[in-house]
Amino acid sequence: MTFKYLYISFISLLLLTSTVVVNTLESDATYTLLTTKREFIAGESIALRFAFTGDSEVLLYASNSYGSILLEPVVNDKELKFMLPEVMSNKSGVFNWQLQTTSHPISGHITIQPKSKIEAIESYLGPPSIEAGGTDYTMLVVIPTDDLDNPLADSTSVTIKHQFLTNTYVSDVMTKNGFAYKNISSETKKGRMLISSSCLDLNSKEFDVNVMPAIPTDFKIDSERIHDYADGNQITTFKTSVIKDRYDNIVSDGTFVTFFITNTAGYKSKTSGTTINGMASANMLHPDFEDQWSVKAYVEGMANSDTIVLNYKQAISDFEVAFSEDNRTLTLGPIQSFMSQRVPDGLTIKLSIYKDGMLVHQPIKDTFNGMAEFYLDKDRYPKGVYDVELKTAGIVKSYKTINL
Amino acid sequence: MKNTSNKYLIAALLIGIAFHGTSIFFTLETTYDALIHLFFADHYATSWFEPWNYKWYTGFTVMSYPPLVHQSIAALSLIGGLKFGMFTVALLAIVLFITGVYRFSLLITSNRTAAGYAALLAVFSSSFVETLHVFGQLPSIIGISVLMHALPEIYLWLKTGKWRYLATSLSLIAVTVTSHHVTPIFGMIFFIFPLIGMVIMDHSRDQVDSVKAITFKVFLNSFFKLFKRIISFGILSLVIIVGCILPYWINSKNNPITQVPIPHGSRDNFLEITSSGLVFFLIPWGILLILLPYIFYRYYTKRYLFFGLSMTILIVLGTGGTTPIPRLLLGETAFNILTLDRFTLWASIMSLPLFGEFTYRFVEGDLKTLIQNKFGAIYHRLIGGLLAGLFLFMTIFTMSLSYFKPSQPQRIEMLPIVNFLNQDNHDQWRYMTLGFGDQMAWLSAQTNAMSVDGNYHSARRLPELTTRPIERLENSKFKGVEGIGSLQQFLTTPEKYNFKYIFSNDKFYDPILYFCGWQRLRQLENGIMVWEKLNVPPLSSILPKDDVATWQKILWGIMPFLTVLIAFVLNIQMLWIRLLKTKAKKLPAYLNFQNDYSKFSSGVLKMTHIWSFILALIVCYGTYIFYIKNESHYSPENVILAYYDALDFKEFETAHSLINPKSDIPIAQYMLEISVTDGLLSSYAKLDAITTETLSRTDSLASLKVFTDWITPLEKIKRVDYKTLVKLDNKWYIQPEDIDLDLPPDQLYSSNSTNYFNQGRRRITTEETHHEDILKQPVLEILKAKLVKFENHYAIIGEIQNIDNVPADVVLKGTLYNDDNKFLATYNAKYHVNHKLMPKEVSSFRINFEGIAWSKTQDSIPKTFNPDEFTPIELEEQPTKFNLQVAGNISGSDLFKNTTITISESNDTHLSGTLFNTGIEEVTIPQLLISYYDADKNLVWVDHLFVKEGIRQQRSQTFDFPLLTNETVRVINEDMSNCFVNGLPNTAIASKIVPNRIRNHHNDEFQKINHPIYKFIKLEINTYIGSPN
Repeated sequence: MTFKYLYISFISLLLLTSTVVVNTLESDATYTLLTTKREFIAGESIALRFAFTGDSEVLLYASNSYGSILLEPVVNDKELKFMLPEVMSNKSGVFNWQLQTTSHPISGHITIQPKSKIEAIESYLGPPSIEAGGTDYTMLVVIPTDDLDNPLADSTSVTIKHQFLTNTYVSDVMTKNGFAYKNISSETKKGRMLISSSCLDLNSKEFDVNVMPAIPTDFKIDSERIHDYADGNQITTFKTSVIKDRYDNIVSDGTFVTFFITNTAGYKSKTSGTTINGMASANMLHPDFEDQWSVKAYVEGMANSDTIVLNYKQAISDFEVAFSEDNRTLTLGPIQSFMSQRVPDGLTIKLSIYKDGMLVHQPIKDTFNGMAEFYLDKDRYPKGVYDVELKTAGIVKSYKTINL
Repeated sequence: MKNTSNKYLIAALLIGIAFHGTSIFFTLETTYDALIHLFFADHYATSWFEPWNYKWYTGFTVMSYPPLVHQSIAALSLIGGLKFGMFTVALLAIVLFITGVYRFSLLITSNRTAAGYAALLAVFSSSFVETLHVFGQLPSIIGISVLMHALPEIYLWLKTGKWRYLATSLSLIAVTVTSHHVTPIFGMIFFIFPLIGMVIMDHSRDQVDSVKAITFKVFLNSFFKLFKRIISFGILSLVIIVGCILPYWINSKNNPITQVPIPHGSRDNFLEITSSGLVFFLIPWGILLILLPYIFYRYYTKRYLFFGLSMTILIVLGTGGTTPIPRLLLGETAFNILTLDRFTLWASIMSLPLFGEFTYRFVEGDLKTLIQNKFGAIYHRLIGGLLAGLFLFMTIFTMSLSYFKPSQPQRIEMLPIVNFLNQDNHDQWRYMTLGFGDQMAWLSAQTNAMSVDGNYHSARRLPELTTRPIERLENSKFKGVEGIGSLQQFLTTPEKYNFKYIFSNDKFYDPILYFCGWQRLRQLENGIMVWEKLNVPPLSSILPKDDVATWQKILWGIMPFLTVLIAFVLNIQMLWIRLLKTKAKKLPAYLNFQNDYSKFSSGVLKMTHIWSFILALIVCYGTYIFYIKNESHYSPENVILAYYDALDFKEFETAHSLINPKSDIPIAQYMLEISVTDGLLSSYAKLDAITTETLSRTDSLASLKVFTDWITPLEKIKRVDYKTLVKLDNKWYIQPEDIDLDLPPDQLYSSNSTNYFNQGRRRITTEETHHEDILKQPVLEILKAKLVKFENHYAIIGEIQNIDNVPADVVLKGTLYNDDNKFLATYNAKYHVNHKLMPKEVSSFRINFEGIAWSKTQDSIPKTFNPDEFTPIELEEQPTKFNLQVAGNISGSDLFKNTTITISESNDTHLSGTLFNTGIEEVTIPQLLISYYDADKNLVWVDHLFVKEGIRQQRSQTFDFPLLTNETVRVINEDMSNCFVNGLPNTAIASKIVPNRIRNHHNDEFQKINHPIYKFIKLEINTYIGSPN
């Protein structure tokens, strides 16, 4: 029993003394920086030397823009030497260090300057296309760098050049925080701007920026057609004048123009075209009945044309209808057009069949050689009295109380 | 007894390997399952111990399937590639199966010759041929084969009580479970329980003098005597079944199969769906059907009584949904998860020993004597020839089933796709295949790229998939509208899955891809079309996974091969002795119970005759019905069905043969007329249902009303056609229809257009794209946007304009919030927008907020689903605010804009007009976007209409649609402050480019309509060009 207490007190004593011993050791150690140089050039071999007494088992915590690292010293006769690895000594900027001692941590920083010789120009340009008119601009960012990829020291002069149409512009910009930049505004004309930069006799590669036309302004429209008959077969073409922006630039190819057509009855039609060299054209099928079209074109929200009016003359004056004996076959035609020629194939004929005033069915047929034939199937139209109505080319023919 | 080699067994092995060994090279790759196993094998070959696979379903674990077969293929693939591994394992399976049948038959019949016959018959048995050559279920075959090898060992352990037999039987059970999990579980019930019964019978037989003397009491006594062995075997095998694939069970418990069951043909009513009856009942049973009386007679003798019971249950379970019994026996859940064809397979395998025995007795035993005495030698030969003929017919028919009815699309050359995915970082996005069939698994095995889809439905994880009864998105058109509905969700919100590329082998899906905003990239040299979606971010380099404990990974990686190794070591000695006969060995105990093959029961013979007669009658009747249903000219209805069927499958020659021959339309003319009709209905519709109603019918004339339902990728179309039919020479024919007669005025047209080409990286490099090669995103402007409530769902509607100078691909993403700015839902614009806009072009849009369809309750899945319908998302709270993000990307494709719209008539219910194609491309599917305005010309709703027929160049097409009825639309929020274009605020970016916008510029051009609520309407057109010139 007594032995146990003896052990405990002995071990406690031992522990106590050992901590005391450690403490005394720590407090004895001193470190002083011997290196006096505070500025280096990137790429130089950099070493931090310390004079020390006491423990040599210390580490140097080193940190710069590249990252952080713990360095072990080379101990050499009361002197500690910390060699910076190349990845850190090649990097310009502020380099912070701290000696990891428990008692009196000492810290400091040195500055690593970039080399003064230029190796490359890094440049960034964006956006790659801007609008004409002087408000939109593109920005060129230039970073001259040394051969270790460090940005050159601030206030290095960078020449930014750009060419547009017949003019070439040159301006000098000083780097700040490692880079130089310039906003290059568009002019009133569209075109391509070529941009480059140079620094310390090194020239960058060529960049280009497209200056696109601004939004379109009002324009005129015109129409073209083979004849002015409403034959439902020929095609009328609408064309715009050359659409330009407010600086007289022709709008970019592909600009979408919508043509709205309003006919006499107030129904709307719509066709569209995209510009090529500023002119858009769109097609529309002739109506198949006498009509008047008012046509107006739009680039929505931006520009529109004046309204033009087109008249279509009736091409088909009348047509004949023949019923078979059982009234189940209706033959139309021959349908003749404006020169008494048979209408081209494909004129639509709509037959409306009513029973007791209710629409039963509305079959549609196309003419063939100016003729068309409807057959009223006895399964679909059982025996009874029907009203039929034929409609083509705006002409309506009604036949009441047909016995089937 | 003289111990000679069993020449039948040797013959069976030689023939089996030669026959199956050569034919697998032509069949296995086109089976349903083989390539899936190959994909799993590829997984193990690349990462043996890592169970997580990223390639399918946004990641799944391979611990969802027992690994032995896959790991074996993987191990062999290191020698000669994956396919070498697969074929080698298939050969092993064949050998294991034949020897397994031999050993099982020997156990049952105790007669080497009969067992030899059984082995020979097993080689050609139609159920085995089907399982291997049509289904490709390698693990299942290996599982059942090893189980059959285990049965004699189990018998010997129970009968003799020697420990070594316990060890061998357990070792074989372990191999079974690591190759297929279902086999040992059900095998326990259907094979091992009856076997235990048989052992007790044999034990009882030893106690008494004759079979008749075995009473229930004796049986019970024997049972108690053997109880310790039975229970020890039972418990140990349970431990093995659980222990060997423990990670599998843990995974099943953690990820229970909560998905909607996938319909499987084996659960059909075979009388209704005859094709399932053929594949899952007639083929696997084959000639065994004739022998059923004999099989039952033998299995219901006292010794085999329990096999008889088990056999009966298996037969009944195998009938699927034909009777309600399987559903009652298994319960609803198990019935819907299990594929029931396996029961028929097991029943047919269980019948094999008796089939062998029957053949033995028929060829050289007492049955031969009996028939020859009763009916004469010639009859015996005739019957023998007939049976052999039938047997071989079934085998040949089964082998060539995929020739008659291809289950897979044509073989696709994968190399161009693999190369495409490898180049230019295309594998940084997920992809999907369409119309590849099971070959998608083979593609997945060859590439590192990941697919949103997959081919192992038990492992599906995304709720978008698990709530639908579809196996794969890939073949979603066959799953009707549920499939298409599911596919649409993936196509509409692809950025959610980093899903950018689609390889399409089926042009059926093209319209939906186009209208969801995808664009064609190019056709690969193997004919596969690549589609891409712009504005999809690439996959992050770290993807989530469900990790499992290391011990599970190690167990999973080591256990399967370990079981094989142990089984090999334990069984090799006996195998050695048995094969090489190195030393005289005591006969196994089961050979002591010889059957008497001297007097074949004439009653059974009679019964078999009667049964065969009944079967023959059924077959004849079935054939007659089949003929009546399929003879196209037999009745007007048949002609109509055959005609629509032929059109559906594009068999124009068949369709032409159904047309009235007197109408003088030569096939060339007919083909010409068909070929010029394009459009949603004629090119992209699949016939879903057809019913006919006879309006009138005389002896030679009939007129029918035909109601057809068509599934198209975009919507479901119902049509009513009136058809007239005539009867000529006792055959019915259909009367042809009119054709479009319209003639355009010009022969040759010229057209100018602006085309665009973005060359991407200008320098050929594998580095990141140079910043100067990245184009500026086109600037768009949101002209109008508002949150509205229409009926019971919410939508964001509005108008968007491309205000840049280049054409733009538009992606719109809407998000809903409540008053407290709580996020409620997000979705993209599907096809209520023109996804490709020329400079300055405007499109109306609508964003629906779709929920994951039917995720609430499974039973609410509508029987007839319309792909155009959608399930509105269930919102917990009222949305009051919205955020709209629009992204533009330069795109040079699908910029055809040359279609005009003419409104010719409108009343208070309908609006009709004409579309005219002024361009030089054929418009396949025109879509109208219809915007409704109130009296003050405020936009209130955006709707759409797919015009069913296409528009040829310079021709017109009419359209007609009903106006919305009186549903009121409530505008909830018109605040556009949260609208963003390419991440920048809409107002800021718009005022910079179009500072003096003319507001409501088009307002004068709206069509006035006579409608109580909506006073104005605006039509816009979006056209899909199926085959651009």
